[in-house]
Amino acid sequence: MKNARLVVIPLVLFLLLVVFLFKGLFSDPRELDSQVKDKVLPAFSLPDLMQPDITYTPESLKGQVTLLNVWGVWCVTCAVEMPYLTELKNEKGVHIVGLYFDQDLDPDFGTKTLNRVQQEVTSMLSRYGNPYAFNIFDVYRDTSLDLGVTGAPEHFVIDAQGVIRMHHIGDINERVWKNKVGPLYNRLVADASTGKFDSDKTTTSTNANAKTISAEVK
Amino acid sequence: MRQCITSLLIVLRLRPFISCALMISALAFAGTLYAAEDNFSFETPEQRAAFLTLTAELRCPMCQNQNIADSDAMIAHDMRRKVYTLLKQGKTEAQVIDYMKTRYGDFVHYQPPVTIATLWLWAVPVLFVFIALLFIVRRKSASPPEDMAAKLAKADAMLEQDKE
Repeated sequence: MKNARLVVIPLVLFLLLVVFLFKGLFSDPRELDSQVKDKVLPAFSLPDLMQPDITYTPESLKGQVTLLNVWGVWCVTCAVEMPYLTELKNEKGVHIVGLYFDQDLDPDFGTKTLNRVQQEVTSMLSRYGNPYAFNIFDVYRDTSLDLGVTGAPEHFVIDAQGVIRMHHIGDINERVWKNKVGPLYNRLVADASTGKFDSDKTTTSTNANAKTISAEVK
Repeated sequence: MRQCITSLLIVLRLRPFISCALMISALAFAGTLYAAEDNFSFETPEQRAAFLTLTAELRCPMCQNQNIADSDAMIAHDMRRKVYTLLKQGKTEAQVIDYMKTRYGDFVHYQPPVTIATLWLWAVPVLFVFIALLFIVRRKSASPPEDMAAKLAKADAMLEQDKE
């Protein structure tokens, strides 16, 4: 009896340790719990990257489901995923908005002019495709910090009410879209179209959206 | 002449201190050079101390095991800048840590909070020691002192058996 206990207790402890370590083999140390999930977008008021007189606020992203893509021309993975994002936009009509930030280490003493940044963005988009309805320019990277962004590319799925429903760190490729991001996006789009009667009004093209915003600014 | 020798002796005796002082000043100079990279200036030494402890305690979310003072990732630069502006606004250290935690989670602070999940980090070693002590104590009291005479008799019997 006593011998049995001497064998069983270490065995159980050992098995627990094995399970713990085995789980550790598949855990990703880079995975962070997003703090913004299921919260509304943090307040911001940022210019359009291409037309700085347009100002965007979280209101600009309400009314339709959005895939917010944090990116920059300096980010290699962003260039890699860009053709696929463009495909998503053209073939599945995914509404992708860019949150652009540049890499000048201290924005207050940035060496790059806005013109220069715009040139780089235009040349990159013409090379890899332009998946964006529009690009929000996170000048001081404050909004990225508020969103808990650690680098680029990162993606946020935002529902029609402006609530962040998913924070995906890393690129979106076919596999990620099919298994992770796509199902949620499609469900949210379905929810938005059935749940709201004025969806026709709110899902107007972003051009119209941008126009009303620029009108407000003026 | 004698005076000269004594002064020389004094200098010789002080030599290690002098070189030490030189080294310290060189190090201090290097420190200012290094710090100048980020251009943070503070009004009070307390603010400066708070900045230094905070950047040492906050963990870079991008580079896993570096604090934001150490890391050269862009996010670490941005977080240092944010810590600086928050301190300038008169926020306390706890407020700055909360600010970062609401954005990056408990991960961002090197001191884990005590929750039901993390309590075990402190409890398990203590429990282990107590259980081990209990185990040892029980084991000692469980085995009664054996009768030496009986043992010797047994051994004798065995020897007798061998002889036969």
